Amino acid sequence: MAAIVDIKGVTKVYGRGDVAVHALRGVDLTIGDGEFAAMAGPSGSGKSTLLNIIGALDTATSGSVVVDGEDLGGMGAAVLSKLRRERIGFVFQNFNLVPVLTALENAEYVLLLQGVAKSERRDRVRALLTEVGLGGMEDRYPRELSGGQQQRVAIARSIVAEPALVLADEPTANVDSATGDSLIDLMRGLRDEKGVTFLFSTHDAKVMERSDRLLLLTDGLITADGVPSDVLQRG
Amino acid sequence: MMARVVSVAVLAWRSIWRHRRRTIITIASIAFGVTIVVFAVTMNEGVYSQLIDDAVRMQSGHVTIEHADYRDAPAIDLAVDGVHELRATIEALPGVEATKLLVLGQGIARSGSGAVGVAVMGVEPEVEARTSPLARNIVAGAYLTADDGARVVVGRGLADRLRLDEGKKLVVATNDARGDLVESLYRVSGIFETGADEIDGYVIQAPLGPVRELYGLRGDQATQLGVLLDDPDEQRALLDAVSDAIAGTSAVARGWQQVLPELSAMIRLDRVSDWTFEGMLIVLVLFTILNTLLMSVIERERELSVLLAIGTPPLQLRMQVLTEAVYIGLIGSVVGMALGTAVATWFAVNGLDLRGLYDEEMTISGLAVSMVLRPRVTPEIVMTIGMIVFAATTMLGALVMRRASRIEIADVLR
Repeated sequence: MAAIVDIKGVTKVYGRGDVAVHALRGVDLTIGDGEFAAMAGPSGSGKSTLLNIIGALDTATSGSVVVDGEDLGGMGAAVLSKLRRERIGFVFQNFNLVPVLTALENAEYVLLLQGVAKSERRDRVRALLTEVGLGGMEDRYPRELSGGQQQRVAIARSIVAEPALVLADEPTANVDSATGDSLIDLMRGLRDEKGVTFLFSTHDAKVMERSDRLLLLTDGLITADGVPSDVLQRG
Repeated sequence: MMARVVSVAVLAWRSIWRHRRRTIITIASIAFGVTIVVFAVTMNEGVYSQLIDDAVRMQSGHVTIEHADYRDAPAIDLAVDGVHELRATIEALPGVEATKLLVLGQGIARSGSGAVGVAVMGVEPEVEARTSPLARNIVAGAYLTADDGARVVVGRGLADRLRLDEGKKLVVATNDARGDLVESLYRVSGIFETGADEIDGYVIQAPLGPVRELYGLRGDQATQLGVLLDDPDEQRALLDAVSDAIAGTSAVARGWQQVLPELSAMIRLDRVSDWTFEGMLIVLVLFTILNTLLMSVIERERELSVLLAIGTPPLQLRMQVLTEAVYIGLIGSVVGMALGTAVATWFAVNGLDLRGLYDEEMTISGLAVSMVLRPRVTPEIVMTIGMIVFAATTMLGALVMRRASRIEIADVLR
């Protein structure tokens, strides 16, 4: 299995001197193509920081980060922006859709940035929205959708450009349990069908159990990594 | 590329309307500011235009042809020769409304009640009656006619000091072009009252012929050949054409600004003061706009961070924020220009009547100002004000855009 994420000795320090906070203390991690992996750990353990660094939203203080074969070290802002646009999808805890765009416009935004022709954009997005269960809701604005529906739009937005990796920061945190289950079903289905690699952080034990691989972070280090049942038993 | 531009335009347009009331208030404040400034500037320009128009029509036109040395030391012997041929040449130029011949001299006016220093204006009565506001301000008797011989019109102030009435006689004593002491008897045809003491107490007008005789000038001589224009804004072009036409003679062409330097300086000074006040008003409006634009970026930092996170090029995001400012500035300026033009045009047609507020005539630089004010509305004035406000709003957008470009995605999304 080819590695989509390969990071070695990654540290992240916020601040300096006495007030320095060591968010990551030397993380080594490899995520293979098509994995459906979850990260868990208490607040402040470094989950979001690690996702941000893998997603090229933040830079590591030291160590190497390779995503889909690209070493992120030393890349400029424009190149990182292009990498995010073309190879990484994001799903956020608060959905974070653009409120003035419809479901269809939100989902097609990344394709528009990539210069995909309008007719192709619209066809692909309509098909995808139907696939995530939002057929007929293309013209609704985020305020007209439930939390679960908004997160489905966000998931559609994250995979519409067929990225190598989708990073999801607690994607089920703001929806009820049943909706959370259906979102995990959706993401797993997309992984199975399209081969998209998912890496997400979560606090929800049910979500952890449904991943293929569970990483446990504690104080900026990966302290457990394996099949969820094993990790949870040890944790 | 085109799709991205459209996307920026659409996102920016929809974004400004997400807080409809706030955007409307901001646009209204821009529009109100532009309206006020357009009205104030056009009103001032209206007063200036009226002053200039009265002054040039009463005196020697928008363009004055006179002896090259006359301005340095006005003397009756510095007259222009061959004025009839010159006049024919000038009148053939496009944009010339009328020309007028003048003989301007000094003298002492004497009646049985005393003597007073006066400015003597030899004029063509039929031209003055058509063009000069002085001829329309006769309060007793009648203005001069072409057939009048030794008759004069005098100002109310001068008439009071010399106890003159219609039909009374006065003697004007002066030095002629050869330096000889001469005098001539005139009968008062009428009394004018412009409201300006400097004119009503000092000026007498008489037909050109008798004044030429008094000063010993020939029939083809005058101290000034005045040119009135159809469009005062065409002064520069006509000045050049006239200068070409009189090249090689002892005469020169001067704009009214050189002939009436005090009036010109007063208007320039007044304009600076007006624009300072109006500039302050614009600055106040800009603070409102800055507040709105800044708020709209600060409260959307998370959304803008998400857009950056999913791969929006930073330049595109900056363009979106700038475009929002452009929309607000453009709508506010256009609405303000339309409203300002409508209000100013209404007053230009109907006049702003301030006569009830003032008992006496107001004068500026010795010229009476009508108390019925009429704005002078021109596309240049309105466009200039609109463009200034629009450009300033766009610059504010650029300032706010810088803030948007400094967003730390990870910090905001944490």
